[in-house]
Amino acid sequence: MKSPRFEAPAIAVLVALAGCGPAPIDPSRQVGANPYLPPIHQYLLPPMHVAKVVGWNGATPSVPAGLKVQSFATGLANPRSLYVLPNGDVLVVETGNPPGPVSRPKELVMNWVEKMAHSRTKPGQRILLFRDTDGDGVPDQRTVFIDHLNSPFGVVLVGSDLYVANTDAVLRYAYTTGQTQITDPGVKLCDLPGGPIDHHWTKSLTASPDGSELYAGVGSNSNITENGIQAEVGRASIWQIDRATGAHREYATGLRNPNGLQFEPQTHTLWAVINERDELGQDLVPDYLTSVRDGAFYGWPYSYYGQHIDPRVQPQRPDLVAKAIAPDYALSSHVAPLGLVFYSGTNLPAHYRGGAFVGEHGSWNRAVLNGYKIVYIPFADGRPSGPPEDVVTGFLVDGDKARGRPVGLAVDGQGGLLIADDTGNSVWRVSAASP
Amino acid sequence: MPSMNPRSTVSLGGVPLHAMLAPIVAVCFVATLITDIVYWQTAAMLWADMSAWLLVAGLIVSLFAAPLGMIDFFGDPRIRELRAAWIHGIGNALAVILSIFNCLIHTRDAYTSVVPTGLILSALVVAILLVSGWNGWALVYRYGVGVRQKEQQ
Repeated sequence: MKSPRFEAPAIAVLVALAGCGPAPIDPSRQVGANPYLPPIHQYLLPPMHVAKVVGWNGATPSVPAGLKVQSFATGLANPRSLYVLPNGDVLVVETGNPPGPVSRPKELVMNWVEKMAHSRTKPGQRILLFRDTDGDGVPDQRTVFIDHLNSPFGVVLVGSDLYVANTDAVLRYAYTTGQTQITDPGVKLCDLPGGPIDHHWTKSLTASPDGSELYAGVGSNSNITENGIQAEVGRASIWQIDRATGAHREYATGLRNPNGLQFEPQTHTLWAVINERDELGQDLVPDYLTSVRDGAFYGWPYSYYGQHIDPRVQPQRPDLVAKAIAPDYALSSHVAPLGLVFYSGTNLPAHYRGGAFVGEHGSWNRAVLNGYKIVYIPFADGRPSGPPEDVVTGFLVDGDKARGRPVGLAVDGQGGLLIADDTGNSVWRVSAASP
Repeated sequence: MPSMNPRSTVSLGGVPLHAMLAPIVAVCFVATLITDIVYWQTAAMLWADMSAWLLVAGLIVSLFAAPLGMIDFFGDPRIRELRAAWIHGIGNALAVILSIFNCLIHTRDAYTSVVPTGLILSALVVAILLVSGWNGWALVYRYGVGVRQKEQQ
């Protein structure tokens, strides 16, 4: 997949610009329960290596033997998350980041870098519904399900109540099975921290197994408090929202940017994937997958991976650092996990049952790109039980060009794995090669 | 009769352009030190953000001020004979180079964008500017660089 011919000169230039920092380590040293954590290295110019977007042009992602990949939907406008309704209809959330103020010159440069790394299509602000009436795994009906949303991301259905997490509020809609369009404006269940600064804007959403509570991921409002600690009220946490009243409490905190909220089906515990901080070096800090404990503090912003202090935060809070716990399972640095799904279907080979798939959107703060793929993490007794395996790859071509970038994941009614690809403006479906 | 004072090559209506722009750069870099000190003492991000803007503003103006100063320096051999002109030019060049590094340090996030490296660089730049600026003023007020004389009229 990677071609050293193209990659080597690019890396040489970047390493020179980055002030001759240490070479990136092998990401395999940073996966699992006890990742290697190198010393902090703050660059004069942080490594910025963004994959140039080239599109698929008829190509498809790669999967191992025994699996096949199909195009599920194309021509979308920044699809970022997916949800499968009980009747098998698939919801695809088209969304993009809300506009924000520019508080320093660096942000002008960063906005430009981000533009380079994403599709040029203007993101939609809506949810589309796809239906497969003949059961071949490929949809044959497409409707606009809910339109005119505000940077939506999370979706969850409890009974006949459909909840959508906009970037600034959780909305409730009445849903009847088979419905293909909702036109009523919805009812606000509760506000979520939104603008004017809205740095990590994707609000992931799930419901407790008994349906009484909702859980919303609320990302931090900065990389590492550079917008001021006052901008972080209620952020970097997972909210527990009472479905009846809309009242909320912070269920767990110190989680820089939690996404992919899911209950593990065997133990009914809440899990999430977390995007950790940037600009402490190419191999800090590993992003992670973790079970989320009630009342736990996971360190952000004061410390990382337990009690490793981040010198960029002032004033420091040793009292909070003393309480910080380490997460369960590292995914290696800067992979940007945004999608998580536990596989309890029966379509994929037995090897892929019972564990978790993680969608890694891919790095920018690293000379050698990391992520840009879907990995599978086996689970036993509700805990990760082995190293991650690459399952869906081929999002990168020639080592440093992106055909697409995976985000949200879901399992469809027949047990196929669906992948939202926001940069390729597609949804992919992975299933068993032979029934 | 030729002018007795050294001449400024780039001037607008008799006023040297370098002498107009150089103080803007100096003010930006002096203000950076002040906002850096206030950030160091308060940890309120507003002040660090202000430093980042001031550094960028100072560097943008220096893109114009530096070449204009160099043209004046090479435009009249009498300027190059002045020790003060050499001190002024080399000092200012050093201040700008250090400020480029300082600007990169200030792109870091939160506390280490200022403390300690940014603060040290800002102070060093102001110390250099005290010497190079003093010599710049001497060029005008003592040696009359770019100043028109009465008998010329």
